[in-house]
Amino acid sequence: MSDCPVLDRLTCVLCPVGCELQVRKDESGELDVQGNQCDKGLPFAVEEILHPKRNLATSIPVRGTASKMVSVRLSGPVPREMIFPILAEIARLRPEAPVRRGQVLIADVLGTGVDVIATRTVV
Amino acid sequence: MEANETHDVVVIGGGPAGLAAALGARRAGAGKVLLVERDRTLGGILNQCVHDGFGLFLYNEAISGPEYAERLIDDVVREPIKVETGAMVLDITPDRVLRINSRSGYRLVRAGAVVLAMGCRERTREMIEIPGTRSAGVFTAGSAQNLVNLQNLRIGNEAVILGSGDIGLIMARRLVFEGVAVKGVFEILSWASGLERNVRQCLMDFGIPLELRSTVVEIRGRDRVESVVVAKVDDKLMPIPGSESVIPCDTLLLSVGLIPENELSKRAGVALSPFTGGAVVDERFMTSVSGVFSCGNVLHIHDVADWASFEGFAAGESAARYAAGERPAGATVRITAGPNVKYALPQLVTAGTAGVEWNFRVGRPLRNVQVVVKGKATEKVYARKKFGRLLPTELQKIKVRPAVEEDLEVSCHE
Repeated sequence: MSDCPVLDRLTCVLCPVGCELQVRKDESGELDVQGNQCDKGLPFAVEEILHPKRNLATSIPVRGTASKMVSVRLSGPVPREMIFPILAEIARLRPEAPVRRGQVLIADVLGTGVDVIATRTVV
Repeated sequence: MEANETHDVVVIGGGPAGLAAALGARRAGAGKVLLVERDRTLGGILNQCVHDGFGLFLYNEAISGPEYAERLIDDVVREPIKVETGAMVLDITPDRVLRINSRSGYRLVRAGAVVLAMGCRERTREMIEIPGTRSAGVFTAGSAQNLVNLQNLRIGNEAVILGSGDIGLIMARRLVFEGVAVKGVFEILSWASGLERNVRQCLMDFGIPLELRSTVVEIRGRDRVESVVVAKVDDKLMPIPGSESVIPCDTLLLSVGLIPENELSKRAGVALSPFTGGAVVDERFMTSVSGVFSCGNVLHIHDVADWASFEGFAAGESAARYAAGERPAGATVRITAGPNVKYALPQLVTAGTAGVEWNFRVGRPLRNVQVVVKGKATEKVYARKKFGRLLPTELQKIKVRPAVEEDLEVSCHE
């Protein structure tokens, strides 16, 4: 197995430990991962090689307040190429106060199956 | 001094460490707890850290800074904890009388125990002495984060980032999201100061170059930054003549280190460590001043907010027990940093204590490392732990199960 050439070396981004992963393709074409310290490492590495996903965060002004901002993020990761199209959608948002932490501001954004949610309560 | 009011525990600072300390004090039975925060709102720097990755250890899920803060704040307001925002502690006497200036005026508060949780500050251009003009457009990464995330301001169009601390890496991505061109991150050391995951998801994802062993040697521009000059550095971190190049930009972000904010601690007579910049503490997080405790980034710089909170819980609990009259007996033993270790914390331990967990940080990147905690007199090995890789950016922990009876040394061997 470890005789097979390393396809990619990557850093797991799921937590601050940041395991160094080595991904190899074995004779049968299956992806093999080494270096992960937990069982999230294998699916992460496979996804990272085939189709990387990321969460994103930004903040937008809230109407009806003295220039207060609400921070937002996605309810889950999306394919990396969706980051900028989703940011453009978020930039058009002008939520009205009060905004609650966890409130869905855009459901199923651009058909990705994830929501844009508020991460702060602004009253 | 005649105090106007008395509390069992007073916590100074309402960020991830201070909020947890107030909760920890309540859990350990403190009746009257006062939490003093200088800003208008609780939460500290968490409020401007809109990115996710917080809470993995405290809440077992990845949430953003504001969510993490709000959860802790929800817990605090549910308790009978007196919260005072927009209030500043001016001074602490060694017998724990605090001079506080707040919206309601100036008063003296007597504390059974004090928890210091004031956090840290960013190193500035002046502290690292970058030559050049005094033009606008030079920001620390954290102040840029505040301007962008909390004040909705556009800080520039083309940015260069000096230093690869986590906030700098996070801000590189944040500026790209805002349509700012990020020309590159320049780091004087041969390794990134921020977490590996941030190098990947904040720089590599967006094709932002990370130039190691290089630094900014000059800032140019009359009213606003017009360009910076970068150069490679040699093994002594000195710029190599002839390696300079000019990068046009209107913005320079600095992410060149954090310094525990201990002005108040010094005034109280708290002894500081030259290695951490924070207080010297024992296993209960008590400083050299009896009844004064320290936790979070004011004690030493953390890479993860969760650890600052865990320290806060522990320090708050210790403070509550102190306020209730509990005093540990026995002499204190000292732990020092041996080969390859930058520091180990706590620095002092009550003799006979078992199960102490030490935080430590290495001085340079190491591979296939054996960490050893050894008795200085007997050479007895108290704990041993193996790591595949250790980076200076990562705060690590090692637990010593046996009772500690002699001075110890923590060392790392490749």
